[in-house]
Amino acid sequence: MSTSEPQPAPAPPPASILPHEVPLPPRVDLWTAAVFFAVAIAILYASWLMPTYRQQAGQLYTAPGLVPSFYGTIIALLSLWLGARSIGRGALKRGIKAPGAKREGYSDARLLLATVLCLFYAIGLIGRLPFWLATAIFVFIFVLLFEWERGQAWALRARRIAIAAALGVGTGWAVLYVFRDIFLVRLP
Amino acid sequence: MFDSFAQFGHEFASFLTIGTILTVLWATFVGIVIGALPGLTATMGVALMTTLTFTRPHSEAILILVCVYVGAIYGGSRSAILLNIPGTPASACSTLDGYPLARQGLAGRAMGISTSGSWLGTLFGTMCVALFTPLLSEAALSFQSYEFFWIAVFGIVIAGTLAGGDALKGYIAGFLGLWVGTIGQEPYYNYARFVYGWSDLSGGIGLLPALVGVFGVAEVLLAMRGPAYKVTSKALDSAIPRIGDVLQYWRTIVRSGAIGTFIGVLPGLGEDTAAWSSYAAARRASKEKEKFGKGSIEGLMSAETGESACVPGAIIPVLTLAVPGSAPAAALMAAMMIHDLKPGPMLMIETPQFFYQIIAMLVIADISKLFFGLTLVRPLLWILMVPRERLMPIIFVLCTVGAFAITQRVFDIYVMLFFGLVGFVLRGLKFPMPPLILGLVLGDLLEQNLTRGLVISSGDVMPFFTRPVSAVLAAITIFSVLWSIPPAQRGIKSGLRGLFRRPRRAG
Repeated sequence: MSTSEPQPAPAPPPASILPHEVPLPPRVDLWTAAVFFAVAIAILYASWLMPTYRQQAGQLYTAPGLVPSFYGTIIALLSLWLGARSIGRGALKRGIKAPGAKREGYSDARLLLATVLCLFYAIGLIGRLPFWLATAIFVFIFVLLFEWERGQAWALRARRIAIAAALGVGTGWAVLYVFRDIFLVRLP
Repeated sequence: MFDSFAQFGHEFASFLTIGTILTVLWATFVGIVIGALPGLTATMGVALMTTLTFTRPHSEAILILVCVYVGAIYGGSRSAILLNIPGTPASACSTLDGYPLARQGLAGRAMGISTSGSWLGTLFGTMCVALFTPLLSEAALSFQSYEFFWIAVFGIVIAGTLAGGDALKGYIAGFLGLWVGTIGQEPYYNYARFVYGWSDLSGGIGLLPALVGVFGVAEVLLAMRGPAYKVTSKALDSAIPRIGDVLQYWRTIVRSGAIGTFIGVLPGLGEDTAAWSSYAAARRASKEKEKFGKGSIEGLMSAETGESACVPGAIIPVLTLAVPGSAPAAALMAAMMIHDLKPGPMLMIETPQFFYQIIAMLVIADISKLFFGLTLVRPLLWILMVPRERLMPIIFVLCTVGAFAITQRVFDIYVMLFFGLVGFVLRGLKFPMPPLILGLVLGDLLEQNLTRGLVISSGDVMPFFTRPVSAVLAAITIFSVLWSIPPAQRGIKSGLRGLFRRPRRAG
C-alpha cells in the first residue's frame, strides 16, 4: 500500500507577463474608473451632438459621430468593469492602505521642479527668445538647480556653475549647428 | 529565388559606399547610446530621428532609423548588465541574469553573450522577414475592408492582452488611443470632430509629437523623479563573445529567435514581451533551471536573442498590413509614410525594391551592432557615468525640436507636452503605453474600413462575421477578450476539460 505525501498547493499563475509590474491599490483603480467613465460619457454626448447629414441622404453608418460613440461606449463599459473589479478587490473597504506608497529614492519635489522647468522652456521661452538662447538658459537653470546643494563649498559651487553654463551654451550651439546646418531642420 | 538573391545583393551593394558606411556607424552608435542610457527608449530614438532626417532621401533616412532601432534594443543590455537598470523596457529581462554575472566579475562575458545573442537574434528575424513577408503580402492582397477592420480591432485587443501588466487597462488605453485618432476631420464628410473652433486640431493629432511626448517627455519626468543610478563595477573582463556559448545553447537561440520574431509579428507587443516570453520558454526547457535568475548564461542568451529577433519581426506587419508590431515600429511606419512609401500589401507591388532595401538595412545594422559590441565596451561605461541632471534637459530640448520639426507648428510642441503629462500619469496608474500608440496609429485604418465595409454592404454587418478570414479574426479577438475575464477563462477551461475527458465506463 503506497502512501501519497500531501502535495504543496500549486503556485498561483503570475498576474502579469512582466514581473516588475506591481499592481496598484484598488481604491486608485476605482477613482481611475470614475474618471474614464466621465470621459466616456463626455465622448458619447459630444458624438450625439454631431450632424448626421440626413438631408444629404446620409445613412446612420456614415454619420461622423458613429465611430467615436462606439469608442465611447466601449470605454464606458471597460471603466465599469474596472470599477466593479476594484470594488471586488476591496476598494470600498475601510482601513486598506496603499502598500509601499513611499518608495526609496523617489522624490515628488524633483518631479515638480522638472515639470515646471520643462513647461517654462516649452511655453515661456520658446518663441520669445532666439532658440539657442532659450535652450542655453533652460539647460543652465536645470543643471544648476538640480546640482545645487546646501552647505556646499564655494569652490565646488563655482565649478558647478561653470559646468552648467558651459553645458547650456554648448547645447544651444550644438543643436543649432547640427539640426539647422547639417540636418537642414527648421528650429522653433 | 535566384532573382530575389540578385535583387538583395544589388541593394546590399548599393549601401557599400564610404558615406553610407559612415552613416550606418554613427546611426548605430547613436542607437546603442540611446538604448544604454536609462530613461531613453528605442521608440523615442526612432521618433526623434524620424523628425530630424525627413529632409534626407528615403533610403538614407530609413537606413538611419533601422540602425537606431537595432542599436537601441541592443544597447539597453549594457545598463541592464552593468547597472541592474534596463536601458530600455526591452532589457528588463536581461537584468535577471546579466547583473548577477557582472557581480560575479563576469560583466565582460555577459556583454559578450548579449552581443552574440542579439546579433544572431536579429539575423534570424531578418531571415524570417525575407521568407515570410512576400507570402503574407500576397495573402493580404485578397483582404477587403472587413478583414482590415478586424486586423485593427485584433491589434488593439492583442496589444492590450499581452503588452504586459493589466489586460483591462491595456484595452482602455487602446480605445483611448483610437478615440484620440478621431479628433480632426473625419473621412466621409470632412466634418471636424472634437475641435471646438481650434483650427490646429482640424488636421488631427500628429503621431510623432504624441510618440515623442509619451516616450520622451514622460521618460524625462520619470527619470527625474526616480533614484539616481550609479556605475558600480568599472573592472571589465573580455567582452569578446565565445563560440562555445553559442554552440552549447544553439537550441535556445533558435527557439528564442522564433518566439521573438513571432511576438514581433503580433501587433503592438514589442521587444519586452518577446524577451520575457523567450526567457520563460528557455527556463521551462532548460536542464539548469536552478541557475536562472542567479547568472544563467542560457537565460541571458534567450532574453537577448528574443528581444533582438523581435525587431525584424515587428517590421513584417508594417510591410504587409500597415500595422506596427511594436512602438518603435510605429514610428518607423510613420517615417515611411512621411517619405511617400505606402506600408501595406501594395508595398511589394508598387515599390518592391524597398523590401530588399529593408532586408539589406537590417543586415548592415546587425553587422554594425556586432562591430560596436566588440569595440564599444569602455566608452559606453563613460557615457553611463554622465549624471541624469545634465542629460535630461538636453533630451527635453531634443524632444522639443523633434516635435516641432515635421510640420513646424508650435502647436505640436503643446501636443508633445500634453501627451508627455498624460503618458506620465497613465504609466503611474499602470496603463501600458503600446496599446495607446497602436490605437492612435490604427484609428484611421479601423474607421475607414468600417465605414467602407458598411457602405459596400448597405449597412449589413454580417460580412464582418461570415467571410472566412474575418470570421477567424473575429473569433480570435472575442476569445482574447474572454480569456482576460477570470470567470470566463475558468468557464472556457472547464468546458475544454469536459470536452477532452474520457467517458467513464459504468460499473
